Amino acid sequence: MKFDISYTFDALPRLIEGAAVTLQVTLIGFLLSVTLATVLTVARTIWPWKPFLVVLGIYVSFIRGTPMLVQIFLIFYVLPVVGIDIGPMTAGILALTLNSCAFVLEILRGGLASVPKGQTEAAESLGLPVLTQWRKVILPQVFIVSIPPLVNEFTMVLKSTPLLATITVVELMRVSQQIFSRNYHPVEVLTGAFVLYFLMCFAVSRGSVLLERRLHVRRA
Amino acid sequence: MTRSFLELSQLTTRFGDTLALDNVSLNVTQGEVVCLIGPSGCGKSTLLRSVNWLQPPDAGSVWLDNRPVGQIPETGGKRAHWRNPDLARQRAKMGMVFQNFNVWPHLSVLENIVRAQMVVLKRPRAEAETRARALLDEVGLGDRADYWPDDLSGGQKQRVAIARSLAMDPVLMLLDEPTSALDPELVSDVLGVLKTLAQRGMTMLIVTHELGFAAQVADRIVFMESGRIVEMGPPADLLEAPTTDRLRRFLDQLSTLNPFADAPHAPSAVATGA
Repeated sequence: MKFDISYTFDALPRLIEGAAVTLQVTLIGFLLSVTLATVLTVARTIWPWKPFLVVLGIYVSFIRGTPMLVQIFLIFYVLPVVGIDIGPMTAGILALTLNSCAFVLEILRGGLASVPKGQTEAAESLGLPVLTQWRKVILPQVFIVSIPPLVNEFTMVLKSTPLLATITVVELMRVSQQIFSRNYHPVEVLTGAFVLYFLMCFAVSRGSVLLERRLHVRRA
Repeated sequence: MTRSFLELSQLTTRFGDTLALDNVSLNVTQGEVVCLIGPSGCGKSTLLRSVNWLQPPDAGSVWLDNRPVGQIPETGGKRAHWRNPDLARQRAKMGMVFQNFNVWPHLSVLENIVRAQMVVLKRPRAEAETRARALLDEVGLGDRADYWPDDLSGGQKQRVAIARSLAMDPVLMLLDEPTSALDPELVSDVLGVLKTLAQRGMTMLIVTHELGFAAQVADRIVFMESGRIVEMGPPADLLEAPTTDRLRRFLDQLSTLNPFADAPHAPSAVATGA
């Protein structure tokens, strides 16, 4: 059996549509996860109420200590059982968000530790309200140092989206399966998917290098 | 009852088993420059940080301009202070300058000075920028407005920090070892700015190890040890004729380590006293 690249090209338009869905769920899931993790980071710092911290800790260790595929299935099958009916797309994004949030929380914890306490004290002593201290002084510094790990986390989310194929989200992997189960040319079709996944991740990490360089130049 | 301009009364602070402040009271009148000296760990920084409630004491109260800065709530609990709007208003009246400058590295020099003016004093940007540039001129950094803090020397960063505090039109300046983290040749620039401030009648509370500087600017020097005020008075009295053994020993150590040629406490005078 020989490799016939025309099958890759024939599949390409549909693969690109699938890649668009992949990018869409990744972006939404990642942005929601960073937002949620940011809110939780601020909350656990200014309101270190013991039960809240314990619940957060349990959540993080459950997410990190279980396979993502199981988490996805659980959200997809369990929520309807308790009466919450959401489609595979929403369930998939929710799973990505909840999974990634645990990791982003740890990234932001590290970033926060790198901001000296004096930075906040300066803001406090000038009379800035607490939330303004966070918005103008602390979080910008946290995010600047967290760019590399956050970009890495983004590509991790992107690379975990094929798992959503199992709950019938029609993203790049599922599209590929649909195509090669009809034309019986998995190698050609999957090669196309392979290249598309790589291009997406590569573009993101290149972009982050440029962004970092710009911030670096700005701060010399 | 009329209160002093700044009134610290019966401040007590514990760090674990250590008493950092042991029932300390101190009154400061408007326009007065008070220097806090003492061995490290004596509580002088803690005292300064209590004034704007950055380090809320376990007991006691601070009044500035006839209004409380912070008071221990009846229910206890230090945390409650963070959403107290009166506290933020009182804090904005006090400029604080730190040993490590704490200039914000992600903002330009100008933005460092502009932000709090806009947020806390609700000044429009144009006005805030004008004020910031004028202050930068005053501290000798008129040409550095668009620099990033990381491109400045320590002494320049500290002068930016001073300008940032002054932009809030404070009635009191708190300075926590403002020159301790600086290379010796940069110290004089910062001290020069502080002297000018003192001459203009700014009320200042300064924690410092620069006895020569303290002798020049202070109306009163406060010597602390083990969380208590041991001795205080005008620099001439205190430095030339210390009445306590502890202060005499402290001055003696300092002059051995770091003799000031022009300091009023010549080693011989101390030796005679001992």
